[in-house]
Amino acid sequence: MGSDILTREVHPGGAPSGPRRPVDLAAREATRAGMLMMAPAVVTTATLVIYPLVRGFQTSLESGDAAVGGQPHFVGLRNYGEVLGSSTARDATVHTLSYVALAVTLELALGLIVAVALHRTFRGRGIVLAILILPCALPSVVSGVLWRRVFDPDSGLLNSVLEQLHILSQPQVWLAGRGWALAFITLVHVWGVLPLVSLILIAGLQSIPEEVYSASAVDGATPLRQFRHITLPLLRPSIAVTLTVGTVWATKIFDEIYVLNGTALNTRSILMEVYNTTFVNADFAHGTALAFMLTAVTALFAAVYAVTFRRSTT
Amino acid sequence: MTHSSAARLLRTVAIAATILWSLAPIGLGVATSLSTQADVQAVPARWLPGHATLDPYRSLLGGTSGSHAGGTVSESGAFAHAMWNSASITLMSTLAILCVAISAGYASARLRFPGCGALFRAIVATTVVPVFTVVIALFQLMADAHLIDHKLGLVLVFVSTTTPLAMWLVHNHVKELPAEPEEAALIDGCTRWQAFRHVVVPQMRSGIAALSALVVLSVWGEFLIPLLLTSTSAGKPVTVLIPEYVGKYTTNYPLLAAAGILALLPPAIVALVLNRHVRGMLSGSS
Repeated sequence: MGSDILTREVHPGGAPSGPRRPVDLAAREATRAGMLMMAPAVVTTATLVIYPLVRGFQTSLESGDAAVGGQPHFVGLRNYGEVLGSSTARDATVHTLSYVALAVTLELALGLIVAVALHRTFRGRGIVLAILILPCALPSVVSGVLWRRVFDPDSGLLNSVLEQLHILSQPQVWLAGRGWALAFITLVHVWGVLPLVSLILIAGLQSIPEEVYSASAVDGATPLRQFRHITLPLLRPSIAVTLTVGTVWATKIFDEIYVLNGTALNTRSILMEVYNTTFVNADFAHGTALAFMLTAVTALFAAVYAVTFRRSTT
Repeated sequence: MTHSSAARLLRTVAIAATILWSLAPIGLGVATSLSTQADVQAVPARWLPGHATLDPYRSLLGGTSGSHAGGTVSESGAFAHAMWNSASITLMSTLAILCVAISAGYASARLRFPGCGALFRAIVATTVVPVFTVVIALFQLMADAHLIDHKLGLVLVFVSTTTPLAMWLVHNHVKELPAEPEEAALIDGCTRWQAFRHVVVPQMRSGIAALSALVVLSVWGEFLIPLLLTSTSAGKPVTVLIPEYVGKYTTNYPLLAAAGILALLPPAIVALVLNRHVRGMLSGSS
């Protein structure tokens, strides 16, 4: 009898006999329900994510003749090589790297200030936090629209203020060059992402036990030294998340640029170059190749952060 | 003592700056949307309108058939239609994503069946696939299925690209919930569906609220996918219509700002009403 109970546990799907049946039925019923409930997610992911991904990769390895009526044939990595050689793609890469570097730096610096200011309770904190997340809720197209008037060369508010302060003698076309244009577009992007970064850092700060601070205060540590030697090291995991999220979002910057400066060459990002190659020039082969390279670059960034932060915490 | 009072002052300044930084662009947008073209072009710039006018909103919603100052053409009723498109696409996508993600997340967390773990991991793994690598092949797929310019096409794409993350969040949420109430209901003779519907779903209420807020915000704000998959007012959401109001040489800023303000109202209201949930999910999930 005892051994029978054991086999029943090990082989739930074995031949049915009297007392086993309800357990079997329940297990089979759970399996059927489980498969049924997973099915929609499996089907949509397979047809609309995995299939296009495989098809896209295939397109990136074929000649782009399909657009002009020819039969596409396998060309290996030729499209990737040609994309790497194109000067607009190289410029777009430089722009994207600038967006990423600037955005991540600004987000981390401003995010730390906001998080340190807001992580402890005070009266009205709930309202301040609700206001804080507003920019994150807006479509990035809308934040671009809200900021556009500031940078307008003719009637822009920035030019007007700087002229009144006699810093500028004549209006600047801010978005026509490179330096200022990249900086201001990054600023608009950061405005939308900062709430998320701040919330991650606030959660990180709240996980640091209060006793660590009070103990070091007894030892005579100043707030600045506490920040340097306690807060920053203990905040490492949150900072890693912040850097990863910030990088992933900045590498695919598109909407803000499109609204503020269109597809102009001086501010074009890689994703915008993908858009232009594929949908304006109808060159699917090179467009997909560039898209996959952008993915590889993003993955590389994420991997570098993961490795760096794992090594330095252990 | 001086230490702490200086720190307190610094903190107050930082809090005030945070509020100003978050609200100033929105406030400027509201002020611009109540201005006339003359206000906006005044030199030196006028931050606030001379006297507020609702004309930008009127011409946006009523529509003017001709061309507007600054070369901006606002087709009659086009904006209202785009808002309706955005609302219906967001609503349909959110409902579909919630159904698909909740059932799959629950199944993968509670109803272990052979192959379940592998399927779950495979779907979650696709969250790292950037949308732009699939969007080109999706465009061809949608063109073959005659779903370009069709709201259904957009809904399908949003469901497939958002479900993996949503399912993962639901899965983790269900794992944290106690399983006893459901088991008790099953022993009491409930069917699996009844137990799910009347016991598990009510347990997940706050998680579902957070998830719906997150999905609504992301779908409403989506720009690149609808830009590629729509070309006429039949399916164009408001995010795709707004950049068309940007003129080539001069821009009708009051009209543009009014469009921006109307388009930010729905997500802003969702974020404010569900802000505790949104905050929890944003800081916890990523």
